[in-house]
Amino acid sequence: MTATFSEFRRRAKSAIEDLRLQGALDDGTGKLWEQRRLTFEELPNSDAMRDHFKLIRSATLRNLAEHLETFERNATAAGAKVHWARDGADACEIVLGIAQDHGVKLVTKSKSMVTEEIHLNEALADVGVQAIETDLGEYIVQLAKETPSHIIAPAIHKTRHQAAELLSRESGRSLSPDDLTTLTGEARKLLRERFLTAGMGVSGGNMLVAETGSVVLVTNEGNARMVTSVPPIHVAMVGIEKVVPTWDAAAIWLSLLARSASGQPLSIYTSVISGPARAEDPDGTGEVHIVLLDNGRSELAGTKYEEVLQCIRCGACLNVCPVYREAGGHSYDSPYPGPIGAVVTPLLLGRESHEALPHASSLCGACKDVCPVRIDLPRMLLELRADQVEEKTVPWSERKVEETGAFVLKHEKLMRFMTKAARLAQRPLARNGRLRLPRRLNPALERQLPALAKRSFREMWKSGELEEKR
Amino acid sequence: MNPRDEILERLKRNASNVEMPGAWQSQRDFPDLAERFTASLTAVRGEVRRTETLETALIEVGTILDEISAQTVIANNEAPLAEARLDDRWPHRELYLVGKTPGDLREFCARADAGLSGVEAALAETGSLVVHSGVGKSRLATLLPPVHIALVPVSCLEPDIFTWTASRNKEMPMPSNLNLISGPSKSADIEFTLTLGVHGPKRLVVVLYD
Repeated sequence: MTATFSEFRRRAKSAIEDLRLQGALDDGTGKLWEQRRLTFEELPNSDAMRDHFKLIRSATLRNLAEHLETFERNATAAGAKVHWARDGADACEIVLGIAQDHGVKLVTKSKSMVTEEIHLNEALADVGVQAIETDLGEYIVQLAKETPSHIIAPAIHKTRHQAAELLSRESGRSLSPDDLTTLTGEARKLLRERFLTAGMGVSGGNMLVAETGSVVLVTNEGNARMVTSVPPIHVAMVGIEKVVPTWDAAAIWLSLLARSASGQPLSIYTSVISGPARAEDPDGTGEVHIVLLDNGRSELAGTKYEEVLQCIRCGACLNVCPVYREAGGHSYDSPYPGPIGAVVTPLLLGRESHEALPHASSLCGACKDVCPVRIDLPRMLLELRADQVEEKTVPWSERKVEETGAFVLKHEKLMRFMTKAARLAQRPLARNGRLRLPRRLNPALERQLPALAKRSFREMWKSGELEEKR
Repeated sequence: MNPRDEILERLKRNASNVEMPGAWQSQRDFPDLAERFTASLTAVRGEVRRTETLETALIEVGTILDEISAQTVIANNEAPLAEARLDDRWPHRELYLVGKTPGDLREFCARADAGLSGVEAALAETGSLVVHSGVGKSRLATLLPPVHIALVPVSCLEPDIFTWTASRNKEMPMPSNLNLISGPSKSADIEFTLTLGVHGPKRLVVVLYD
């Protein structure tokens, strides 16, 4: 997974030229954005609520070790086995170990971002264990051999025609794209059989509640309930930042999560798993394993990037981002696209390999406005860019241009002289107030810079003509 | 150092003590909890049938089972179903009472036409049912059948999730499985078009009684 400047530009360009994708992105993100607005309107004191939640998240992360230890103690007391993974390799090894100990051949999965982050499905496939995604969108994406392109709407880039084609191929029946009920019914049937035969269920975790050692999962389809109730073993893989101290604090998290994600007051199913089935339970899983994944998170504690760990992965920032809405999720080549992905991907998956992402933003601030935790993403995007300059990972030419620019802006006389010089120099390129730059300097030809005006503001001010216009 | 100690040590090195804010108080004051519950649940295509007493509620459940021509029915053996003598009420149906009827529970759930349950609580704001695992309470009974019918007394309605967590008895251990169910299973993953019954029940019918 990489997103260098040239890769991001190439992928974004092809996304922008894909009219069908543009329509799907406008439609999907627009709907989610509008639904979010409506449900927040109905919620009393929602701004104060978000402020309160921000305090909870930042206080928890300041003392993360303590809350993780409490969680571990209580989850263990409830009968779950807690594992710790430094990185993706550790985490995959743990899950493979559990699968192999029990001779598991088929795994059903409930939507999980962290397992995408560490490529768990590939690791399982390498040892002959098949992992089936069961979220309808993820299932379609998996059948197409693609990756999700939105945190909560993984198949936002697929049409119903493509979905029908993929499901027809899988079921051996010819399914009409216009009959969604039959289409979904077929997916239900295909996946139901898998749920009943799988040896193990793997899920992510939206939240870990320390005071009771519980893993909390939310879905609308019910696949998380299936994955955590039907197979004999359940493995939940969760990032260490997802812990919350108490149920009182968990309530505010749940209230904001679904509202921000999809404009629902609560997701259809909120499943709370506190250890394996007890002796008195008539059914349920025999073993519950919880894998706490670090993968670079603990290194952010105490740094200017700690705030990014407050994210609850609702995806609201994607829907309002002018860059995501045009470039689409695949341009970022990360399980975390959009504004949150532009910050968290370089920090967790590699800054140099994802050098373009901090620049995939207009810094308009819509992401910060909409965030249920009010994460200051624009600040961190700028910090990441500043780090690139400091670490000299920006190309020499770009650095020189920017240094020269800064020098000119600092010296008034030089600035005036340079403006005049530029006005002369632009003559051969300016047409009707627009600059026609050679292709090499302007790869996206549809974008035209305005030419410098004939007279500067300063000149107009001095001559008094602005006064007359008033 | 093992991964656990390494991660915790790094976090502790950079930790500081910040005061945790108190619990967020519910901002809701619904004049009629049942009315709000009904409005919220029907907004997400759940169904609510209102009756007077437990007896009329049980008759209503029978009517629903007739409507969907349910032959095989699984029922959690919990209040108020446990004392309802379901066998006598519906002699013509194949009934599985969790913990009482012999036979493979999972196999029965997988082919049942409907699943019946009670609830521990219900949240008016979001139209949610709180369902626990435990003695006589199967988690598959409310998940695998295409229709889930829940009996909910008005007395167990809470305003919202905040009042619910505040009233939680901290001395009682959590059940191994707890679900907040806020509607029938749904997906909008294909072109943002709503479809019901993707993995869980297509229909959720709540029979609300005084």
